[in-house]
Amino acid sequence: MVAPSDDKAKGGKEGKDVKKGAKGKEEDKEPELSEEDLALKTNLEMMVERLGDAEPGVVKLALNSMISEIRSATASMTSVPKPLKFLRPQYDALKARFETMPSEQAENRALLADVISVLATTKELSREVLKYRLAGSASELGIWGHEYIRHLSGEIAEEFRVRREADSAANVDDLMALVKQIVPYHMTHNAEPEAVDLLLEVESLDLLEAHVDSKNFGRTCLYLTSCCAYLPEPDDAAVLRLALRIYTGQARWHDALRVALRLNSRPDVEAVFAACGEPQAKKQLGYLLARHGFSINLEEGPAAVEDDALRESLREVISNSKLSEHFLALARDLDVVEAKTPEDVYKTHLTEGRAPAGAAAVDSARANLAATFVNAFVNAGFGQDKLVTVAAGGEGGSDSVHWIFKNKDHGKMSATASLGMVTLWDVEGGLPQIDKYLYSTDNYVVAGALLAIGVVNACVQNENDPAFALIADYVANSDENIRTGAILGLGLAYAGTGREEVAELLSPLVVDGEVAIEISAFAALSLGLVFNSSGREDVVMSILQALMTRSDVELATPYAKLLCLALGLCFLGRQELAEPTVEVARTLSERISQFAVVTLDSCAYAGTGNVLKIQGLLAMCGEHITADEGSAHKTVHQGAAVLGLALIAMAEPLGSQMAGRMLEHLLQYGDAPVRRAVPLAISLLHVSNPDVLVMDTLSRLSHDQDSEVANNAILGLGLLGAGTNNARLAGLLRGLASYYYKEPTSLFLVRIAQGLVHMGKGLLTVNPYHTDRQLCSGVALAGVLSVVFPCLDLKATVAGKHHYLLYCLAAAMKPRMLLTLDEEGRPLPVPCRVGTAVDTVAQAGRPKTITGFQTHTTPVLLGVGERAELATEEWLPLSPVLEGQVILTKNPDYVAMDESK
Amino acid sequence: MGQNQSGQGGGGAPGEQKKDQEKKKKYEPPAPPPRVGKKQKKRDAAASLGAKLPTVYPNAKCKLRLLKLERIKDYLLMEEEFVQNQEQLKPQEERNEEDRSKVDDLRGTPLSVGTLEEIIDENHAIVSSSVGPEYYVCILSFVDKTQLEPGCSVLLHYKSMSVVGILSDETDPMVSVMKVEKAPLESYADVGGLEAQIQEIKEAVELPLTHPELYEDIGIKPPKGVILYGDPGTGKTLLAKAVANSTSATFLRVVGSELIQKYLGDGPKLVRELFRVADELAPSIVFIDEIDAIGTKRYDAHSGGEREIQRTMLELLNQLDGFDSMSDVKVIMATNRIESLDPALIRPGRIDRKIEFPLPDAKTKRRIFGIHTGRMTLAEDVNLEEFVMAKDELSGADIKAVCTEAGLLALRERRMRVTQADFRKAKEKVLYKKKEGVPEGLYM
Repeated sequence: MVAPSDDKAKGGKEGKDVKKGAKGKEEDKEPELSEEDLALKTNLEMMVERLGDAEPGVVKLALNSMISEIRSATASMTSVPKPLKFLRPQYDALKARFETMPSEQAENRALLADVISVLATTKELSREVLKYRLAGSASELGIWGHEYIRHLSGEIAEEFRVRREADSAANVDDLMALVKQIVPYHMTHNAEPEAVDLLLEVESLDLLEAHVDSKNFGRTCLYLTSCCAYLPEPDDAAVLRLALRIYTGQARWHDALRVALRLNSRPDVEAVFAACGEPQAKKQLGYLLARHGFSINLEEGPAAVEDDALRESLREVISNSKLSEHFLALARDLDVVEAKTPEDVYKTHLTEGRAPAGAAAVDSARANLAATFVNAFVNAGFGQDKLVTVAAGGEGGSDSVHWIFKNKDHGKMSATASLGMVTLWDVEGGLPQIDKYLYSTDNYVVAGALLAIGVVNACVQNENDPAFALIADYVANSDENIRTGAILGLGLAYAGTGREEVAELLSPLVVDGEVAIEISAFAALSLGLVFNSSGREDVVMSILQALMTRSDVELATPYAKLLCLALGLCFLGRQELAEPTVEVARTLSERISQFAVVTLDSCAYAGTGNVLKIQGLLAMCGEHITADEGSAHKTVHQGAAVLGLALIAMAEPLGSQMAGRMLEHLLQYGDAPVRRAVPLAISLLHVSNPDVLVMDTLSRLSHDQDSEVANNAILGLGLLGAGTNNARLAGLLRGLASYYYKEPTSLFLVRIAQGLVHMGKGLLTVNPYHTDRQLCSGVALAGVLSVVFPCLDLKATVAGKHHYLLYCLAAAMKPRMLLTLDEEGRPLPVPCRVGTAVDTVAQAGRPKTITGFQTHTTPVLLGVGERAELATEEWLPLSPVLEGQVILTKNPDYVAMDESK
Repeated sequence: MGQNQSGQGGGGAPGEQKKDQEKKKKYEPPAPPPRVGKKQKKRDAAASLGAKLPTVYPNAKCKLRLLKLERIKDYLLMEEEFVQNQEQLKPQEERNEEDRSKVDDLRGTPLSVGTLEEIIDENHAIVSSSVGPEYYVCILSFVDKTQLEPGCSVLLHYKSMSVVGILSDETDPMVSVMKVEKAPLESYADVGGLEAQIQEIKEAVELPLTHPELYEDIGIKPPKGVILYGDPGTGKTLLAKAVANSTSATFLRVVGSELIQKYLGDGPKLVRELFRVADELAPSIVFIDEIDAIGTKRYDAHSGGEREIQRTMLELLNQLDGFDSMSDVKVIMATNRIESLDPALIRPGRIDRKIEFPLPDAKTKRRIFGIHTGRMTLAEDVNLEEFVMAKDELSGADIKAVCTEAGLLALRERRMRVTQADFRKAKEKVLYKKKEGVPEGLYM
């Protein structure tokens, strides 16, 4: 008790003495120093002098007091701590002393090295902090403060790089020893990002795992997963794997499954799914898999479930068979069950000027066809509408002809297929209604019915598996239309499932040189949908074979492009796995080879943000190829390149914004084929995301002089707002409808765009990115792509006789809802807050994840960029991301507020 | 105009396009609804997808941020490469030259300047020329209609008086005067003592502009502004000058009295303008000296002038903490009568830090004396301790006055050195002057 105070007094007196002695001199030398500072300065100088003492004890004492002086200094963040400031001039002296210090004073030497190391942080020298730290004592680093550790980390990273550059097998054990000290410090002091940064620099992320605990794993993993999009290969996969291990270690199955899905590795997904033991949590995982369109085998293999009852309920969840029921529950809650007619969407009474109502004068078949699609999209999933599901001559009374027969030729096919769209997901309710048209004498109607069966089953697997049984026989039918309908129907019904039977049935059609290229192309597209991102060899080989054997005339048709797209879909997101196929594609006929290469490449790197690929595509778009009638095929690949830009960059907001800039340049400099694809690329970047700026750009383009640009922009507007009911967009399209009232093609597209905007009465989305924009559903992306790519030849496909390709969107359509369920799977209304999502990566504390929220009661709609959180403590969600169907469990710690008080 | 732009790059077969166009002309209504006015302007400025670079989160210095910034750089490099290549193939200048010369022909010379009174429809407007008469004229199609708004200056064709161009409006000249172009010479080294105050002002004003991530790390919002208060002559303005000297941010200085204007509504307008300019030139620091000129407590005012002053203050309140966020604008105010200020003005949120400037204590006095006598030749007998230790209430300015006065006294006697006697006399003089106006004890 006494000693310290005594010591202090002595120290104080000593300081004063010194001050008095030095006063005269000091006044003219450095007048700005205050008394305390001066005392400190002389004290430190004296200590430095004492370091030269031969007596180890004295030296040690001096060092210790120097260290305590440095440690006790509290600096403002604006300036260098005072002791360091005063010691700076002595830096070289200290260094010299360190060199001369006899080696028997090892302890003192180490302490001195510590001091020099700390002092070096104030100097701009090459890695001296590190150099002296390595020579110093191995004591705790934390005592020197955060700033010092930050400095040290930087120098370690630098040194590591220098050493590795000199010799790739250089010894870095000394550095690693330091890293092992620093990482735990960061991890226990809320600086997880810094720990991750350091480990990334020294390429040993594995060290991190040991220091993660239940408190800091969330922040760590969030940082890891958000770094992933920007890291070069193979680091990106490494961080994800680490995050997966951490989440698994913490038994955060939902998080782990999300990471596993992002890795796109089946074994990991199955392992996580199997490891999760709790039945309710497992069901929640099932919902995630269902949303992602990931099929998993519950009967056998690693993810098999023993318990029969559980397996049955899981199967129900993963097969999406409750989706229709849940969607209708949402619709009932929002009071939008009432069917809408196309006129409800057109709202012609609101359009100014010439109303396109006199459509009869223009092209009634087109108008009816447009009405068919609008009706199909608007009432998608509701199971009832006012055109196709009502019986002829029924409630309408005056009409004796059923709507389907008011269409012509291919129109009838689309009209019948719209029945599938209206009863989307509802296999049991929809099939009986479709069934009767299968026996129609009109081939178009039969074809439409087959397609309708496919659409109904999109993303849903019924246990009886009716689609295959009903459709399979028609694939070999003699009528081309019926075949097309059957083929596309199969593709949609089994999109993403990878069913063997489909491959067996369709592969021969692809290869067969006897059948029309049309059939072969649709068969390939269906295979692409079914086996998307699987990279299955037999499918790939058969498509390649078709591309090789077809004649140049056939390859010049738009169908050849569908073959290429199908090839691309097989390798969706598989990156270098597609390389061999790309090489083969190069050897194809020059009419198609470049298109095939570009499509394949951009599909393979879809959503990776790979800058090198983007550079290549951009250069391709910049070429100015002079092509005449005979060599028009030389420019076809440019359209695909533009779409490829969007496809690769669409993964994260940063990339998609920068890609938007590029597209703007392409509009300025590009040739016609490039410009024509730009509106499609823009809409691909912002599917179901009606951003005002994007809307403005597309609206500008929809008045472009080049009618193809304008038409693509119109369709792009539709995709941009698909399923959002965006009022601004609706107004824009109404304006366009009166602007183009005499141009049947444009008007048709405007109508379809209107239908898309009001898709599912505004309850749906076709954005492939889901679950907080972290995951990209391959099936959904394939669905969108199989609409967007054919639009490169708009006149020949969507605006021509293959309008039924629009039904491919069924593969991408999902309700954009949050539905909370209780443990029995019944909807459970709870209050929740919905607001704009905030990026909280690497932020201090526990920042709010949403802003500007409103409180609703579930089920609720979620817009793009919105996030939800529960507004009650009573329930706990089993999924950290509140989207789609979420199971709630009672919070055991919940104490109800006593309202009687 | 948007159409023009996108139309320019349009390649394709020109003949075919022309035919297409002609066909359309028969029935096609004119271009989509006009976009006129300021509201539209703001949106249109950013309407193209490539106008702005994405903002990068997180703000903390970490690898993720670095990676994101590098990614943006990669994209920009690609853009640069692309544009360079394209320009080499077909320079944009050449493409545009023809158009430009045509536009110049249409414009004609000489031009006259007029004011846009009203826009009738997208092609017609009423303009008034400087001589007086008003005309109903055409707006030529190449004029950027998004920038037209009633009241702006337009270029008129010399004969037909059609609107052929727009003169962009400048900011209020009153505000541009406030901008400190030449940094003051006073630096932090010229401030005696006041270490705590310097640190506080640095933390509140300078650091948020240079190192915003530090605040994010901790998880707080940096303060918006500070008020410096204390007795006269304690260095408030000096410190503000030192801040202006050391910062590279735009420094706007106003005196409270400047904000009081002759006409109704001019004062609040000036305040608005001031903050608008500050926002445009962000990062910036606004320094309002003698804030008590407009910031006194509100009371039932009888004269219109007082009410106007109060309204000016209300505008200031709104600018400090209103709906418009000012992120990179920091406010420093100075006053020596903080107790008379309106409490709403200095509540946290508007002014987060109140920095007091006390009268110097002995130590500080010694340093201030040191600063001021540093360049004077002093006689051997001068002992400044006498003044430092004296019980008189000397402010920094007083000390400066004492030193100057002592120098003057020495000068009067043509001496080259200032003696202790000079200092004593000077101090008496200064203190006498200081107390002169206040007949002590008369009313007590």
